[in-house]
Amino acid sequence: MGRLNAVSRQFSTIVPWRAAFVALVLGVVAPSLRAAPFAYITNQGSHDVSVIDLATDSVVGTVAVGRGPAGVAVAASQAKVFVTNPDSKSISVIDMRSRRVVDTLSAGDGPLGIAASDDGLRVYVSDWYRHRVLVFDSRVHHPLMSIAVGRAPAGLAVHESGDAVFVAERDDDSVAVIDVNSQRVLSRATVGARPFALLYDAPRQRLYALNVQSNDVSVLDARDLFRTGRLEVIGTVPVGKAPYGAALAQGGTLIYVTNQHDDTVSVIDAGTLKVVRTLTGFGYPEGIAAHGDRIYVVNWMNDNLSVLDAASGQTIKTIATGQNSRGFGAFIGDLPAP
Amino acid sequence: MLRRTMGARVARCTAWMLLCGLVSVGHAHGPTRQKVTEKITINAPAEAVWARVKNFDALKDWHPAVAESPATAGNTEGSVRSLKLQGGGTLQETLESFDEAKMKFSYRAKDGGALPVTNYTSTLQVSPTGPKESTVEWRGAFYRGYPNNDPPPDQNDEAAVNAVTGVYKSGLENLKKLAESR
Repeated sequence: MGRLNAVSRQFSTIVPWRAAFVALVLGVVAPSLRAAPFAYITNQGSHDVSVIDLATDSVVGTVAVGRGPAGVAVAASQAKVFVTNPDSKSISVIDMRSRRVVDTLSAGDGPLGIAASDDGLRVYVSDWYRHRVLVFDSRVHHPLMSIAVGRAPAGLAVHESGDAVFVAERDDDSVAVIDVNSQRVLSRATVGARPFALLYDAPRQRLYALNVQSNDVSVLDARDLFRTGRLEVIGTVPVGKAPYGAALAQGGTLIYVTNQHDDTVSVIDAGTLKVVRTLTGFGYPEGIAAHGDRIYVVNWMNDNLSVLDAASGQTIKTIATGQNSRGFGAFIGDLPAP
Repeated sequence: MLRRTMGARVARCTAWMLLCGLVSVGHAHGPTRQKVTEKITINAPAEAVWARVKNFDALKDWHPAVAESPATAGNTEGSVRSLKLQGGGTLQETLESFDEAKMKFSYRAKDGGALPVTNYTSTLQVSPTGPKESTVEWRGAFYRGYPNNDPPPDQNDEAAVNAVTGVYKSGLENLKKLAESR
């Protein structure tokens, strides 16, 4: 009890400071004439990243990285994209302006999932083999800490405060909450079978865990996180076979979920938590992200990216990527204003 | 002292890995999923080709490497077929979806079978490409057999891709021969 109190005190003192800082950074970045965002798609078979300009929905560059790139995170404030290369046990750092790899960091035994804090200052990486979450400073690329978690950690999500990080512990069927300040696991929630990807819904203070083997999405309430340190499962939404990626769309009213083994995408009403539509015509869809009124779905089997209209779910266009494209993570990022 | 600690750690790790090997169903897999897609054009109507391959327990009738392929529940989702290979070795596969209209079905293999793969799923589809011509596509997604880092050569990504490619190619070539033979 004393520890939790200490934790919540720590959170309550740090959160406003972080929030103010985030606001400051955003204020600097926000001016209207912002460059169009880009999608950074990891291609695990061709060992590179396809850079797609979302203003024209076309590939504008291909960046060679390490072996078998899977995870991707954008640290927009640093104008950098971080990519995990599980086969070369490293992270490639791509400069968003030059579209070149500017650094390669060694990262445990099997870096896989990756997520950046909202302020872009920290990058969190799951080590699939050593069962740890590694933390890097995104400015100088130094490792900051390494936190022991459950077995086969995969997807990550960062709380908007920057003080908590969620990690899917695939082989333990659980999600852990890491208190970044004390560098330890604060609590755990049991979810469905083999959770892989996570999505955090900041306005609703909810976490969605995609359970690859039970074919459903666990909905976790994070509203009491800083009071009790706990995450609570408040619902389970059945989707298609092997859900692997999720994105919020249409102002957060819809959740799009890719179902790998069905070649479909489920569209969930975030209010009622019911599947309202199932879209077909994908090829082992994995990564998914939304921007404006568009949804971008990575088709691992087809080596391409489907562009959907977020409201209707209709496919507008298909863009060729590299081989075995995954895009595991929040792969869309805005370049900060010059 | 240091050496002794290291030795103990290695022993513990090895024991742990052996244990994991025994209870490996659905557990961690290699980091990089692999895929194989093989296609063949057959000079026979799609319906005729589909009739040869559609039954989940009919693999023994058209795949040269398969000696027996009984299934527990025919073409119903969840049906489990137990393959016995000509050269020895077994595989257990579960039907995940069956679509008569699209002439397509998908199945998943249980880990630990004759192929050096894990988390293996596969789809077979027949498509008409003309009144008397069809295409059969067989595609698979899987991880290598060895779930940890630094796999031995017979259980690495390449070995997995080669094995699945061999299964698909030999099966499709034989299917073409059978379907075009009369």
